[in-house]
Parts: sequence; C-alpha cells; structure tokens
Amino acid sequence: MIILNVLALYGLVGAGTAFAFVIFGISRVLPAGTPVSIGARILLWPGAALLWPYVLLRWVKAGVR
Amino acid sequence: MSAGFRAVQWNCRKVVYDLILVAGVTLYIGAFMGVSAWQRPPANWPDWTNLRIDAFGSCAFIMLTIILSIGPLARLDPRFLPLLYNRRHFGVLTFFVAAVHGWSVFEWFAVQDALPGLANELSNTAAYGKFIGFPYKTLGIAALVVLLLLAATSHDFWLAFLTPPAWKALHMLLYLAYGIVVMHVALGAMQGNRSPLVPVLLGGAFVWVAGLHLVAGRRERRGDRGSKVGEGGWIAVGPPETIPDKAARIVTAPGGERIAVFRDGARVGALTNLCAHQNGPLGEGRIIDGCVTCPWHGFQYRLEDGRAPPPFTEVLATYPVRLRGGIVEVDPRPLPPGTPAAIDVVL
Repeated sequence: MIILNVLALYGLVGAGTAFAFVIFGISRVLPAGTPVSIGARILLWPGAALLWPYVLLRWVKAGVR
Repeated sequence: MSAGFRAVQWNCRKVVYDLILVAGVTLYIGAFMGVSAWQRPPANWPDWTNLRIDAFGSCAFIMLTIILSIGPLARLDPRFLPLLYNRRHFGVLTFFVAAVHGWSVFEWFAVQDALPGLANELSNTAAYGKFIGFPYKTLGIAALVVLLLLAATSHDFWLAFLTPPAWKALHMLLYLAYGIVVMHVALGAMQGNRSPLVPVLLGGAFVWVAGLHLVAGRRERRGDRGSKVGEGGWIAVGPPETIPDKAARIVTAPGGERIAVFRDGARVGALTNLCAHQNGPLGEGRIIDGCVTCPWHGFQYRLEDGRAPPPFTEVLATYPVRLRGGIVEVDPRPLPPGTPAAIDVVL
C-alpha cells in the first residue's frame, strides 16, 4: 500500500510539473526562438510527467542561467 | 531535423510505413481472435476478454521481437534499412498493443468482481520466492512501465533534451523489457498452456534475437580492428576512384572510432561515422541533393564542413584528408565539429 501511495504521489506531482513544463518551461530549456507546436507539447507531456525530477532540475538550471 | 519541434514530422514514407504497421497489427489481432473463436467459441464475456488478452499479448511479443531484429538485420543487409526508418512509431504502437493486453487482464478480473484476487496475487510476497507460482503479472507490469517510458520519450525533443548518448542508453532498456517479457510469458502463459507451441515460439524468438545480435556484432568487430596507420598517423583509404561516387568507404581509427570517407564527384571529405541524430551509421548512407544523408532517418550534412544545411543546426566532426601518391589518406584526429576539411582531387 505504501508503494502504491508513493507511486500515486510521484504521478500526481509529475502530472502537474509536466503540465507547467510543456506550457512555460519548454522554451526556457531550448535555444531561444526554437518553435514547439501545440501538438508536440501534448506529446511531450507523458515523458515530462515520468521524468519530472530531471525535467524540473533542468528547468530550474535554465532559469538561473 | 532540429529547426523546431512538431508533433509528428509526417512524410509520405512515414505514412506508408505506419499504414502497413497498423494494417499488420489489425490483421494479426483479427486473424488470431477469429480463428481462436472459430475453434473454441467463447461462452461469455470473460472468455472473450481472455481471447483478447492472448491476441494482444502475443502480438506485442512478436512486435518486440521484430523491433529488436531490425537493428542487426539492417547491419547485416542494407535492404532492411527501410524497416529501421520509422522504428520509433513501431515501438510506440507496441506500447499501445501491450497496454490493451494489460488493460484486458484488469478487465477480466473486474467483470468477475475478482479485483481483490488480483491484488492478493500481486502482493503475495511469499510467492516471489518460487519459480512455479511466481506472480508473473508483476513482470508484465514492469515491462509495460518500461515500454511506457520508451514510448513517452520517443519524440525528437527528448533526444535533444537528454543528449543522444543518454537517450540511446535509456532506449537500450528495450532489451531489459524484452527479457522481462520472456520471463513473463515463460512463467505465465507457458505454464498455463500445455501446447508445445508456446515454448517453441518463445525459445525460437529469443534464440533468433540473440543470434542476430551475435552475428551482427561479430561482423562489426571484424571491421573495428583498425585500419593500417601510415606515416604521421594518417590512414590510407585508397585511390579516389575506389571510393564509390556519392557514397563512402569506412575506415577505423586506432581507438576504434569509425570515419566515413565520402566522395562526391571530384570532392573527397571525411566525417565521423556517427550521425548526430541517433548515432546512425552515416558511412552507409549516400550523398543526396549534395548532402551526406544518414540511412536511418535521412538527417543531412554538408560534406565540406559536416554542418546540416540551414535552417538545421546539427554539426559533425570532420577529419583532415589529403592525396599522396594517388592515394587518399585521412588523419584520424578529429577536427572541431563544423571545420571545413574536404579537398578536390583529380580523377
């Protein structure tokens, strides 16, 4: 049960982080002016949700720079 | 290529590839369920669900086997390269087929109000120590999670975001998923089905995939022994006319790095053999529209300086080349990516 709760929490935080990332963060981690279509942002959401700790780290780093 | 990111970079070849893929899966599932239902008509909904579980499960396994075979087959015979072109869509479809298999298992328990039984089976820690009776569905879930991760990160954005080596390493997890699926079938379907067909197909598929990789690996190693190094560390490639026009000869530096020496008419240039996209074997490609074109996904680079034509931004390492005594030679020490290094020769 604990494992399931931890997984659910990971998924929930991931879903939210990924949502914010594909809307706001993606342009921060790419070279300026790189176009990303809405369709691509939708397709990138699951990957961002799964890899959210790394995605968040890169987003924060890109923001600091 | 990397001028921006769209959902799917469709072209005519990809559409044809995907149509064939979907048609193949539909035909297999339809034929499997049709023939099975004809031989042993399902009596109720759970029986139909069971049939769907077998159809989608076996389809996903076959698709995984084909995906893992495409790489070595293309190394052994370039006629298989078209299969490699859109392998990522093949992988994503495999995830969806496997997901229907997994969902059907869940549904089978749900329609019979037996979900607590499924939960007990998965959480029975004592059973994890046994061989026969191992909760093999856990293996299926693990494989499905890996396939989800690979499908979710298959977009070119992830390749650029994670860097090609990290992306490639992540996607090597497909081998882990295949191993887990083999165990999942061996401990599950194979134990419940007394027919010799399942072990024969499972063992055959495993031996086929492993054998193909061994044969292709042996051939690669033979080519990696290193080309003969001459004066000053330069490697002799041969007279210019022995390099096929609009194609390359691949030489290997002492450290094992492969260098593709291309000829485009009277122009000779050397680039790293690794495409910047997915490390595809650039030297097995051709010069199309004046650009070196990767045989895997069609990424293009200028022979002169290894740069992708604008607006694309990929760039490759080049190598100095020279003509000495009628022999093309290449210096195996790479130049910074994008450095002009091609020369014109008299044929």
